[in-house]
Amino acid sequence: MWHRSASFILDKNQNDTVYPADSVTLTPPPPSSISTPQNPNPNLNRNMSMSAYYQTRAAHHGVVTSDWLAQSQEAATRAVVTGGQEIVDGGKSGRAFSVIDEFNNWRKQPDLAEAVAAIRALAAVIRNSEAKTMMELEIELKKASDSLKSWDTTSISLTAGCDLFMRYVTRTSALEYEDFNSARSRLIERAEKFGEISYKARKIIAMLSQDFIFDGCTILVHGFSRVVMEVLKMAAQNKKLFRVLCTEGRPDRSGLRLANELAKLDVPVKLLIDSAVAYTMDEVDMVFVGADGVVESGGIINMMGTYQIALVAHSMNKPVYVAAESYKFARLYPLDQKDMGPALRPIDFGVPIPSKVEVETSARDYTPPQYLTLLFTDLGVLTPSVVSDELIQLYL
Amino acid sequence: MPDTQALVMTFLTSLKNATARQTAELLRSVISQQRVPYTNQAGALIDAVKAVGEQLIAANPVELAVGNIVRRVLHIIREEDLSLTTAAIGELNLSAVSDDENDDDRDGNTTLSAAAVAAAARSTLRPPSLQTLLEDTPVSAAVPQTSSSGAADKSSRSRKLKHDVIEAVNELIQDIVTCHEQIAEQAVEHIHQNEVILTLGSSRTVSEFLFAAKEKKRSFRVFVAEGAPRYQGHLLAKELVARGLQTTLITDSAVFAMISRVNMVIVGAHAVMANGGVIAPVGMNLVALAAQKHAVPFVVLAGSHKLCPLYPHNPEVLLNELRSPSELLDFGEFSDCMDFGSGSGSPLLHVVNPAFDYVPPKLVSLFITDAGGHNPSYMYRLIADYYSADDLVVQRRAIAGN
Repeated sequence: MWHRSASFILDKNQNDTVYPADSVTLTPPPPSSISTPQNPNPNLNRNMSMSAYYQTRAAHHGVVTSDWLAQSQEAATRAVVTGGQEIVDGGKSGRAFSVIDEFNNWRKQPDLAEAVAAIRALAAVIRNSEAKTMMELEIELKKASDSLKSWDTTSISLTAGCDLFMRYVTRTSALEYEDFNSARSRLIERAEKFGEISYKARKIIAMLSQDFIFDGCTILVHGFSRVVMEVLKMAAQNKKLFRVLCTEGRPDRSGLRLANELAKLDVPVKLLIDSAVAYTMDEVDMVFVGADGVVESGGIINMMGTYQIALVAHSMNKPVYVAAESYKFARLYPLDQKDMGPALRPIDFGVPIPSKVEVETSARDYTPPQYLTLLFTDLGVLTPSVVSDELIQLYL
Repeated sequence: MPDTQALVMTFLTSLKNATARQTAELLRSVISQQRVPYTNQAGALIDAVKAVGEQLIAANPVELAVGNIVRRVLHIIREEDLSLTTAAIGELNLSAVSDDENDDDRDGNTTLSAAAVAAAARSTLRPPSLQTLLEDTPVSAAVPQTSSSGAADKSSRSRKLKHDVIEAVNELIQDIVTCHEQIAEQAVEHIHQNEVILTLGSSRTVSEFLFAAKEKKRSFRVFVAEGAPRYQGHLLAKELVARGLQTTLITDSAVFAMISRVNMVIVGAHAVMANGGVIAPVGMNLVALAAQKHAVPFVVLAGSHKLCPLYPHNPEVLLNELRSPSELLDFGEFSDCMDFGSGSGSPLLHVVNPAFDYVPPKLVSLFITDAGGHNPSYMYRLIADYYSADDLVVQRRAIAGN
């Protein structure tokens, strides 16, 4: 009856392993699928009930509820318990352990982008490596990058960041008339600098978008994006008069956090529930969203609800602007919503849901490029068709 | 400098058509008369051009071609400087390889690693891209090195920079002058036998385009919308008939009625914005919408000097110019309606005569420039080739920075 596509069957299999037999409010998720860093078996990751990426985002930007707190405490105790077992493993997985651990340490900082955390972790790999030739170092890095990517398959900027760094390493090592140590130290230095690059990227994007925010405009924002926050902050500092309509962004409710931040800057903010977007779209002048990843077609992958907003905006002829750093460009080409690997995030409805009732827990959706007007990136203000161009230049 | 000031003043008072070429020629004389110091010649040239450019743009902001040419010249200066610097680095490195002991004394020369040289050797000024995201900017580090080299080098380099820049500006002027021919060469690919072409108003590029197709023995018909209130379509119709083309003259309001009989719409543009939108004579948006409704290709002809790196939302861009109402109304008949003295002291009749229209990129099928035919979504590429990001705001600043 519901057989729309083969991916339906794929989803169903995954959903089956996720939900426990009886009703739950919020899951402290079943122990087998908790996303602890010490998960050595890559296969198990695919059946994870939770996307670590979206969990982290919620941790950074979401509202802290008591349920979440309980869940995180449980996760922490579990980490301590299982942590000891992993060290017993041999050297190779020990190194993989440290990459992922390193990555998690960096990722915990709320202001740091995913790709930056990944590249910093890879820099740590270089620092700790005992390789004597570029080839060896490259192989080590490849292994570390693969383990990072497989640990969290749902995070696009993580994958893109790793790929970008690997590409850079390969190209740099092609200059053979340098000695190994200087090449290595330069790699480490560039990797550390990448953090600055990412921070500068946000500033550049904020500067580029200032011209598009005119006095008296109304901006619709979805959820919490650090880049969009930077854009709005700079506009407020430049004494522009504008107001922001902010969606709540269920289930993370990260919109509430954004509303708080904007209120601190004395920007008039109005909160909407996600369903009120079409209702208020006629008073909106432009829509501003961030992106978790920018795919090859020029579309974006972002928090659930972005596609909906883009569709409504497009039908009412409102421009949709995306603010994304260039290292989020990924070599993916989803043809429909289910083409990407599922990134699931449990939803707290506040009341018990009977087990027979399925819940759509995907945390993200794909917005095709025809609904986007312009992309603000640190490479400049671009139309969506530029993305594939840049990716071809990088990977060819 | 007083010479150039006088030139600038006469130019400002006579800003009319063919401004792009005149701007380029003016900037060429500014550059050739500019005295450059030994160090940082490019900076001095850029400052001089920016100073004049500011005045030119402020004098007539609607004429976007002026700003475009100013930015093109700035980009040329930066590019020539970069290629000269990288050539100098190349020479320096060769000499560095030959006597190693001396190099250790000179600070920094040995740190010009192979990678930096290779990167600098890519001597074109490329726009930022994913490839260069993780890399250093090699040139800014390298420039202090070269200034420590011999003095004889420097004076020849300074003359060379000016010479190169002026050569490049001459090429630019040539391009501007010959853009009509280059666009017209592509006419045969687009206009086929027994087609019906629609155009609005009169544009030299469009007429050259159509004449070129006629030369190649294509037989086609042209509908010309008259282009109120200036009625330049009448002039175009006359020219076309003189060349032996079957022409039909219609009013602007009749475009929707006639569009279903048309195979292609070919129009000129006043300016092309960075998002692919077009600023065109008034009435063009109407034609574009009609073309979209009936799935007729809407082709815009524009020389590359009309390509503007700014977006239409940019406050610097004046999308329109309001002209005199006398083009619409005869003052004699309507003088009492527009009289300030009658009644409450302000006239009840207002006459608005905008000169331009904005056509959004999604209505345009193809841009034909002297660099070939392109999609509206490809415009960013041409802009990245012709302009530098630092020049978007043409203002002299004490500290150039991002």
